[in-house]
Formats: sequence, C-alpha cells, structure tokens
Amino acid sequence: MIIIAPFAKPLINGNRNPKNYPYWDKLIELTNEKIVQVGVEGEEQLVYDFRKNLSLADLRKLISECRIWIGCDSFFQHLAWDCKKPGIVLWSVSDPLIYGHPENINLLKSRDYLADNQFLWWDFTKYNPDAFMKPEEVIKYIL
Amino acid sequence: MQSNKILCSVATRGRYTTTLPLVLMAIANQTASPDKLVIFDDNDNPEDMRENPIYQHIFQILDYKKIAWEWLFADKKGQHHIHQKANEMGYEWVWRVDDDAIPEANVLEQLCSYIDTTVGAIGGSILTLPHIFNTSKSTGKIKDIDSEPNIQWGNINVTKEVEHLHCSFLYRAGIHDYNLGLSRVAHREETLFTYGIYQKGYKVLTVPNAITWHLKAEGGIRSETKQEMYAHDEVIFRNIVGLSNSTIVVLNSGFGDHIVFSHVLPEISNPVVFTCYPEIVQGRSIAEAQALFGDIDQWNIYKKMAGWNWKGSLEDAYRKLYL
Repeated sequence: MIIIAPFAKPLINGNRNPKNYPYWDKLIELTNEKIVQVGVEGEEQLVYDFRKNLSLADLRKLISECRIWIGCDSFFQHLAWDCKKPGIVLWSVSDPLIYGHPENINLLKSRDYLADNQFLWWDFTKYNPDAFMKPEEVIKYIL
Repeated sequence: MQSNKILCSVATRGRYTTTLPLVLMAIANQTASPDKLVIFDDNDNPEDMRENPIYQHIFQILDYKKIAWEWLFADKKGQHHIHQKANEMGYEWVWRVDDDAIPEANVLEQLCSYIDTTVGAIGGSILTLPHIFNTSKSTGKIKDIDSEPNIQWGNINVTKEVEHLHCSFLYRAGIHDYNLGLSRVAHREETLFTYGIYQKGYKVLTVPNAITWHLKAEGGIRSETKQEMYAHDEVIFRNIVGLSNSTIVVLNSGFGDHIVFSHVLPEISNPVVFTCYPEIVQGRSIAEAQALFGDIDQWNIYKKMAGWNWKGSLEDAYRKLYL
C-alpha cells in the first residue's frame, strides 16, 4: 500500500500553493498498487480511499503499514520522518536541503526553480507546474 | 584594530544643540575609526543639520578622515528599534554610543583590543560626575542587579567577565535581537540585549582604560515621562530574568516545524517551551509568551534563517537558535 499526501496547507490569499504537485492524476494512473490518500476536509479527492482528518496516532499507524509514501513539502514528510519511514517528496520551489530530510528520496527537478527567498510565506510565489518532475520520472522511484 | 567591519551607531533625540555635536566630534577623534557612523535621528521635528555651521564642520572632518557617515530619520518607536536596525546592517561589530555620552579618544581602540571569537560585547566605564561609584566589588551578574551599583558606573581597573552592560558598548552584531516589545522608553533594553548575548554563550566584558563621560543633558531618547511605560518594560525584564536558568523556547510556527524541533528539544538544557501545537511539543501558549516577553520575534525561526542567510537544515537552524 502506498500513501499519498498530495496537498500542502492552503494559502491565506487563496492562491494555489506553489508546492502542490500538478500531475497527481497521471502519477496515480501509472501506479499499479493500492493507494490511500490522506488529508483534510475540503481537499480534492484523488483516489477512492481518501482518509480525512485522521488523528496523529492514526496517521502514524497508517504510515507504519505502508510500503512507501509520496507527498509534497508539507507537514506529512516531517511526520513520516519522525516515524522513521522513508518516502518520496516532490519538490518545486522550496529547498530540500533546508526543509527536507536526507533519509527520503527528494525529487527536485532543478535548483533553478527554487524561490529566491526561502523564508517568506508562499502566498506570493507564482505557481509553476514546470518546476516539478514529470510523473514518468517519478514513477521510477516508486516501483 | 582586529576587525575592519565596525559600525558606530548613535541614536539621538532632543540634543541637536547640546551634547550630540560633542559626541560626534569624539567619534571623529577616535584613535581607531569605525568603518561607518550612522546617526539615527529620533526627534519629533527633525532638522537638516547640514545647514548648521557646527555640524558642517563635523561632517567635513568625518569626510576628511574617510569615516563614512549617514544621517537616518528614525521611526520614533524608541531606541531599541534603532539599535536593532544597526544590529542588522551587516557589520561584524556595532559600537553603540549614546547622544549624551562622550567617549575619550582611545575608547573604540581599547574595546576592539578585546575582540576575539569568544567575546560578544565589551564595555568600559560610563562616568557621570559628580557621582563616581566604587564598583570594584560589583559582579556584573544579573542576579545582583538590584543589590549593587552597575560596574560601569565606576573606574574599572581590571577586566571582568560580566552578564550585562549598559549605555555604550561594542557588541558582536547579529547574534541576539533587541526586544522590540518594550515601550518607547525602552527601559532595560541594553541590559536585556547584552544579557541575551551572554546567554548565547559569548563573553561579556567590562574593561579598563575605556572611559566615556556621561553628561546627562536634557532631552534624550528616554525623555518620556509616562511611568506605565517603565512599569511595562520592567515586567518584561523581570519575566525574562526570572527564567535565567532556563532556555526560553517559543515555537510560533507550523505543524511540521514543531515535529522537526522535537528532535532538537532533548539537547536543550532546562527548556521552558511555548508552543502552537502542544500535541507535538508540549508547552504553554504563544499568547502567554507574548504577554510575558513583549516581543517573540526574537524566536522566529524563519526570521532567523533569513537573517543568517541560512543554507543548512531546519533542524540545524533550531540548534543554532537554542543550543
């Protein structure tokens, strides 16, 4: 079983979070394994099994049961790291050398896309789907 | 001079025509010059002193001696805001000089002679005639602050490691923030600031042969008379000093940040934690931290990382902030 944690928290100004991966549908299509999505109420459902608003304890239990997890740069990558369960993080504008954990597979297309200022709110960083690695590349790390 | 990046910072209010010109001349006449002098003008009705003949001479002398200088108009929020600006101007050291404190010509050179990697702040005597105290037995420790004369109020004969300084001193920039939660009078601001440097593990020194004459002219940055401002600042001071044996931790950040921090927490000695997510890191509320300490930005990990131009991990940034 694979866990996906697709979304970082919504931005205050309502803009699309530049850390959210744009190609989930294709990546899910390429994945031939049971997928459980975790997240919170209001997020888009991407797979049949979407578990919302789980407690920390339930999330930790689920993480312990998965083969691998995939997410963006959100709290989930830190929680899974805390659970000592390596996974895949799909990066774009935030710097994995600062916010990532070397125990994970950190997929960053290019450091050229990193935001100049890593320490401000993400509300005013423009969304750029080109900043992410394509699903055909990502799937190689999942299989 | 062991460092070539020294900023001299003067905050002034109400002393255009009394002690400020004396202070600026004293700075111009130092045996070791600062790399730059910045005058932060906090007057309610600022004037262009380039029209004043005395100041014209002083500015010419500074130019002649190749001391870069700048006159900035401040925000009228108090000298702690001014000094924080100086603290963030990118210099290695800041020599802060009050606008009624006249340093003898050797002061900066003498303070600089104590610079090394272990030192965070260095101060000399600040003498206010006719009240010269015998401070030879003063410890300069924060626990004795209510029971002894300030060690800088007397002639300093030997170098001593202390825990706080006042008035004018040289400090290593960027390692501790001024508490911007204090009122405009900024009561205790320099004590809190230098004590913070001490708590970061740097030596705070009082040294001999570096005398500054405190003329205590009318006006000044603390010319406010509202007693409630002093009371407000005193409460913040007492709250922080009351936790002097602890490490204050304020986690005003995201859920994931708390998880990362939780891996650093065991390394921190005697932590007192204020937290947004007690289910991750137990502690007291952020609102309480705000009420106790006035300003909690000094623990803002993102502001810190920005200031440090941080390239390392978030986990190591927490270590730098708290260990």
